[in-house]
Amino acid sequence: MKDSFKRRDFIKTASLVSSSWLVPNFVKSFPVLSPESGNEGKVLVIIQLSGGNDGLNTVVPYQNDIYYSNRPGINISPDKVIPLTDNMGLHPNLPGLASLYDEGALSIINSVGYPNPNRSHFRSMDIWQTASDANQYLQSGWVGRWLDANCQESCGLPSMAIEIDDSLSLAMKGEKAKGLATNDINRLYRHTRNPFFQALAKQPQPAQNHNHDKVAYLYKTFIETTKSASYLYEKSKVYRSGVLYPRSPFARQLKTIAQLIVANAHTRVYYVSLGGFDTHAGQKWQHARLLKVYSEAMAAFIKDLKRHNRFEDTVSMTFSEFGRRVRQNGSNGTDHGAANNLFIVGGNLKKAGFYNQAPDLTDLDQGDIKHQVDFRQVYATLIDNWLGYDSRKVLSTRFNPLNFV
Amino acid sequence: MSTEKRSIQHLLLRAGFGAKPEVIDRLSKKNTKHAITYLFKSSETFTDLDHLANPIKGKKEQELSKFKIVLQILRSRKQLKELNVAWLNKMATDQAQLREKMTLFWHNHFATKVPFAYLMQVQNNTLRKNAMVGFGQLLHAVARDPAMLIFLNNHQNRKNAPNENFARELMELFTLGEGHYSEHDIKEAARAFTGWQVSRRGKFYFNQQQHDYGVKEFLGRKGKFDGGDIIDILLEEKQTATYITTKIYREFVSTTTDDKIISLLADKFYRSNYDIQGLLKDIFTADWFYDEGLIGTKIVSPVELIVRYKKLFDLEFSDSKHLIGGQKIMGQMLFFPPNVAGWPGGKSWIDSSSLLFRMNLPKILLNDNRLAKADWKPVLNAFKKYPPADLNKEIMNSFIQNPDLQAHLGTISSYQDLSSLESKIKSTVIMTMSLPEFQLI
Repeated sequence: MKDSFKRRDFIKTASLVSSSWLVPNFVKSFPVLSPESGNEGKVLVIIQLSGGNDGLNTVVPYQNDIYYSNRPGINISPDKVIPLTDNMGLHPNLPGLASLYDEGALSIINSVGYPNPNRSHFRSMDIWQTASDANQYLQSGWVGRWLDANCQESCGLPSMAIEIDDSLSLAMKGEKAKGLATNDINRLYRHTRNPFFQALAKQPQPAQNHNHDKVAYLYKTFIETTKSASYLYEKSKVYRSGVLYPRSPFARQLKTIAQLIVANAHTRVYYVSLGGFDTHAGQKWQHARLLKVYSEAMAAFIKDLKRHNRFEDTVSMTFSEFGRRVRQNGSNGTDHGAANNLFIVGGNLKKAGFYNQAPDLTDLDQGDIKHQVDFRQVYATLIDNWLGYDSRKVLSTRFNPLNFV
Repeated sequence: MSTEKRSIQHLLLRAGFGAKPEVIDRLSKKNTKHAITYLFKSSETFTDLDHLANPIKGKKEQELSKFKIVLQILRSRKQLKELNVAWLNKMATDQAQLREKMTLFWHNHFATKVPFAYLMQVQNNTLRKNAMVGFGQLLHAVARDPAMLIFLNNHQNRKNAPNENFARELMELFTLGEGHYSEHDIKEAARAFTGWQVSRRGKFYFNQQQHDYGVKEFLGRKGKFDGGDIIDILLEEKQTATYITTKIYREFVSTTTDDKIISLLADKFYRSNYDIQGLLKDIFTADWFYDEGLIGTKIVSPVELIVRYKKLFDLEFSDSKHLIGGQKIMGQMLFFPPNVAGWPGGKSWIDSSSLLFRMNLPKILLNDNRLAKADWKPVLNAFKKYPPADLNKEIMNSFIQNPDLQAHLGTISSYQDLSSLESKIKSTVIMTMSLPEFQLI
């Protein structure tokens, strides 16, 4: 095939591509983006810590004897903790998060979870991503349904919600609209620029009759992908970050996101994961390393946004599918737990600092922290107060919003 | 392309994983009826998937002192991936195509995800063995399947502390479907399954100490039921036949269901004591199965797609991690279902990234030896015989069930590599397989 696609053909075809593709006129059909809504330009970055982050060793109750007696082998000693309040402090590898706390750009919500917690990674992640009850199976994700809710005559482009990864999480899949996953915008763009595909995208599209609705669906997705890829490619060239990011893949992913945010891309939701938090054995070193990766990348990301005055329009939410047991296990690790803390970072928070009280280690559910805040209250807050929509339509029932944004 | 040939291809794509052009040509010399007979006949005999040895076998009693230790011995994500690859290869090469397809169907229906590779191999063989017998026999076997019992926490289902997980999914996902039972039915069924456990030898075992021998009230019946009785009652419910028939129809015929046809099929399925093979025969021999409106309307699943590639080109991957990676990117990894409800399928397979990946696969797999080696000989031989004027059309008809020839022939001919007949066939096949329509079977 390489041979059949001659350079000449490539140039010939490339020059035929209508420049109108690069103009995002579809943005107008996306109601929440209208200036009246006041949410224009507001961006949500979702950071998923996969594997079950040990919240108690992340935000440490460093005056609590129960914490120390349950974790003789893996506790963070009081002299190592970065103190935030008289009894709560951060893991020593989170100085980046500590400075965000100091400047009022971090809100720590304790004990977030849901009734009848499930301790299986994939089931609990499923619950978080679909925003379902513990005994309910939904086949669409909460961000996806937010995209759905915004479809009128047509839906927005997939690039309205981007996951920086090779495949799209369920969270980003709606019934009608879906986000787009890419780990590399240039590669995505290259894959759509194959001259044969370009020619295909320009062919008259098959009629939407009952026999061929699947064909129409495939072409619609294909053309939207091509448009999204061109759009993102153009936007990714607008700003090349001058901030020095760490060398981790996670930092590179945040850098991609920062570049698009600074370029004012129409993307409203970004999704990114950092894995490896399933620390059943010898967790001390592994957990410390992961928190370092997280904190350093976040620090560079926020610096980048601030430098271009985009921090006020950005909110990030960092969550994990569950926390870990209060008591350590026999191999200096921790097993799957339940409720956990969650971080909101933004340049324009209504309530910063500790949003609620520290988890009560004297009142546990089978050795796990009980939930005080339903994670869907956090989602409702982000939908109602930040992304702009009625959260009831996305979550199918009313969850009382919080007031961090 | 003759109607007969197209029907045979439709049959083999839906009831199997497609076939090389030469096989379709050979079968087309007779008729569809003959192809159906061939399909069922080749699935009569079958072999187990026997990639993994039982790690418990030969262990002494004292080495298996606790169930936790047994699970530790059985735990292996690496072997689960090996098993994944072994099954994909089996699907691509096994004679019993329909049986493999049905095993895949049940793998999704009874979606199980536990990290105990050997137990998943056992389950896979249970599904294969019972794939086309009576659904009752299959269901009784699955309810005693160690991986399933562990996955749905029946191991923790004890007389004094019932765990409802298995009982709930048994009704919601395996037999009746939502809305056909009450919470009370779930509680009572859970009591009936107390004591259904897994032994330290990794086998089903009935723990009398933990079983609740009391009277249960279930779906309007009353008695000292055990798990087996619960399953028999569920089979007495006509709704189970309707639910299973609907699911099979959605998988093999269309995601748009036809109530009249399903009701007729379900009636017969119920009366036949849930004869799965009979139900499949009724579907594949029906005239409506070959309706124009149904051909080429199913979005092929990632596993079906990969197996189709392997069958067409005897693909050999340079490293099995590519095979795993491809499944992951496209959203379907064997033995790693998203949850107990299985893969939702249909349009949910397709999003921007997965579609673009699928469209780029022909180039990656067939025209570049780094990830996989493709054997082009059978495909080249099959198309060399056609006169140049028919070649493009023949290729498109062979690879796509509903090709829009008018729209595509021009585009394809302007990008063909005409340097030799071989290059012409290759480039045309690759472009054809890159079309969005190739994702439809």
